[in-house]
Amino acid sequence: MDSKLDMFEDVNTSPSLEGDMSIPGKRTTTATSASGVPDYNTLDEPISETVLRDIRAVGIKFYHVLYPKEKSSLLRDWDLWGPLVLCTFMATILQGSSSADSMADNGPEFAQVFVIVWIGAAVVTLNSKLLGGNISFFQSVCVLGYCLTPVAISLIVCRVILLATQTRLLFFLRFVTTTMGFAWATYASFVFLGQSQPPHRKPLAVYPIFLFFFIISWLVLSHN
Amino acid sequence: METPTADDLLQFRDYSGGAPAQINVNSPTHGGSGGSGGSGGSGGGGANAQRQRGDPLADLIYDMTSSAQGFGGAASPDSSQPQNSSLDGSGGGAGGGAKLSLFTIEYYQQFFNVDTYMVLERIANSMIPKRAAGNYLRMNIGENPDLYGPFWITVTLIFSIAISGNIASYLQQATDSYKWHYNFHLVSYAATSIFLYANILPAVLWALFKYSLKPVDSADAVETDSASYTPSLLSLMCIYGYSLAIYIPVSILWVINISLLQWLLVITAALLSGTVLIAVLTPALRNSQFSLFLIVGILSAHVVLAAGFLLYFFHNPTVLPLDAAAPAPAAPAAPAVPAALKAVTQAVVNAVPGNQTH
Repeated sequence: MDSKLDMFEDVNTSPSLEGDMSIPGKRTTTATSASGVPDYNTLDEPISETVLRDIRAVGIKFYHVLYPKEKSSLLRDWDLWGPLVLCTFMATILQGSSSADSMADNGPEFAQVFVIVWIGAAVVTLNSKLLGGNISFFQSVCVLGYCLTPVAISLIVCRVILLATQTRLLFFLRFVTTTMGFAWATYASFVFLGQSQPPHRKPLAVYPIFLFFFIISWLVLSHN
Repeated sequence: METPTADDLLQFRDYSGGAPAQINVNSPTHGGSGGSGGSGGSGGGGANAQRQRGDPLADLIYDMTSSAQGFGGAASPDSSQPQNSSLDGSGGGAGGGAKLSLFTIEYYQQFFNVDTYMVLERIANSMIPKRAAGNYLRMNIGENPDLYGPFWITVTLIFSIAISGNIASYLQQATDSYKWHYNFHLVSYAATSIFLYANILPAVLWALFKYSLKPVDSADAVETDSASYTPSLLSLMCIYGYSLAIYIPVSILWVINISLLQWLLVITAALLSGTVLIAVLTPALRNSQFSLFLIVGILSAHVVLAAGFLLYFFHNPTVLPLDAAAPAPAAPAAPAVPAALKAVTQAVVNAVPGNQTH
C-alpha cells in the first residue's frame, strides 16, 4: 500500500522515476506498477494522466537522442510512437505535388517516403541481425526511427530557409544544415547500436545505417 | 580384431574429408580447404599466424581438428578464419549437423558469414583483373558465398545512380535557375534494371552452365572433378553483385558533364569488370559446350548495362542544346529538317524522365 501511495505522489513530481521504477522482465507497458500488482488503479485515473505518461516517455526518448549519453531508455523501453510521428511529419512536408504544373517539384510521394523510412529501417535491422548482432528487431527499428529527429529538425530549418528567394548562399546554408543533421543522426545511432555488433564486423553493420540516413538527408536537401 | 579395424576404418573415412560434406556442390576437397585457408590467409591482413601456408602436415592437422569440431557448432579454433566455420555451416545446412529450417534466421546467417576485410578483398578482386587466384570461384566464393556484398552494392548503386542522375540534370540546366526539378522516378527505374541484371542474369547463366556441360570421359578420374564443376547459383549471384561495385565511383564521376570523359569511363569500367568476370568464371566456362557464346553474352550484357546507365540517366549533353534552345510549344514554327531533328531528339529526351514537361 505504501508503495502504491508513493507512486501516486511521485509520478507528478519526478518523471525520471518512471524509468527507474521499471524492472526488466516484470514490466509490460509504462502503465504497470513495479511489483506486478494488477494495475487497476490506472483505470481510475483520468485519461489525460495516461496519455501524458506515454507522451512523457516519448519525450524522454527524443531528449536522449538529441543528447546521446544514456542509452538504456531507448533500448529497454522501446516504442514506435516517435518514429511514426517523425515519419508522418517528414513525409507530409517532403511530398511533391502531383499537379500538372511544369514547375512543380517531382518529389517523392507520401507513401514513398513512408516506405523508405520503415522498410529501410527494417532492412538495416535485418542486416545487423544477420551479421550476428544481438539486438532485438524492434529495439533497432525504434533507435533508427528516433535518430531521425536531427534530420527532421534540419528539414524544418531548410523549409524556413526556402521561404526566402533562393541564392547560392542560401543553398549552401541548406547544404550545411542537412549535413549536420545527417552527421548527428549517424553519430547518435552509432552510440546506441554500435555495441551490439562483434568488432570485426562493425563497419559492415554501420555502413547500412550510414546509407539509410544519407538517403533520407538527400531527400531533405533536394526538397524545394 | 576385426570389429575395431572396421571402426577404425570408418572413423578414418569420417575424418578424411567427410562423406556428408561431399553432398554439397561446393564442399571442399581435402586439399581445397587448405587452399581456401591459404588464399584467405594471404588475402587477410592479420590472418592465422600458426599455420604455414602450404605446410601439408599443418594443413592436415587443421583439417582434422576443424572437421572434428565442425558439426557440434563450436567455433573454429581461429576466429579470424570464418571461411572454415562456414564450411561447417554449409555442411550443416545440407544435412550434416543441425538441420536448419528455412524460416529461422540462423539459416540465413550462413550467407552473411563475412568480415570487413573479406568484403573489401572481394570488392578489390572484382575491380582489378588478375588479382584473384585461379581457383577463386571454386575455393573462395564457392566455399563462402555471401549475400551481404551483392545486396548492399546493388542498393548503393541504385541510389548513387539516382542521386548522380539528379545532380547531372541539375547541372545541365540553365545556370541562373536555382530551382532544381528533382525526379524521384529515377530511383524506381534504376532499381528495376539493376535488380533484374543482378538476379536474372546469374540465374540464366547458372542454368546454361548446368545444362551445357561437356560430356566427361569418366575413365580419367583426376579430371572429372574439375571437369564436371558448375558454379552454384549463390556463387554466381555473389560474383555478379561484386562486379557491379566498380560502377559506384564511375556513376559519381559521370556527373562531370564532358561527353568524352563519360564514354571513356564507361568503356574503362566495362572493360575492367568484364575482364574480371571472364577471368573468374574461366573454370566454369571451360566445362561448357557453348563457352565462346557465353563469353560474348556475358561481356555484351555488361557493356549494355553500363552504356544503358549512361544514356538513360545521364543525358548525353549534345542532345540538350537543341532542347533548351526552343521551348516545347515552339516546335511547329521551325522549318522542316530542324523540326524533324528536334522531334527525334525530343522523343529521345522525352524517354528520359525529369527533363521534359509532358
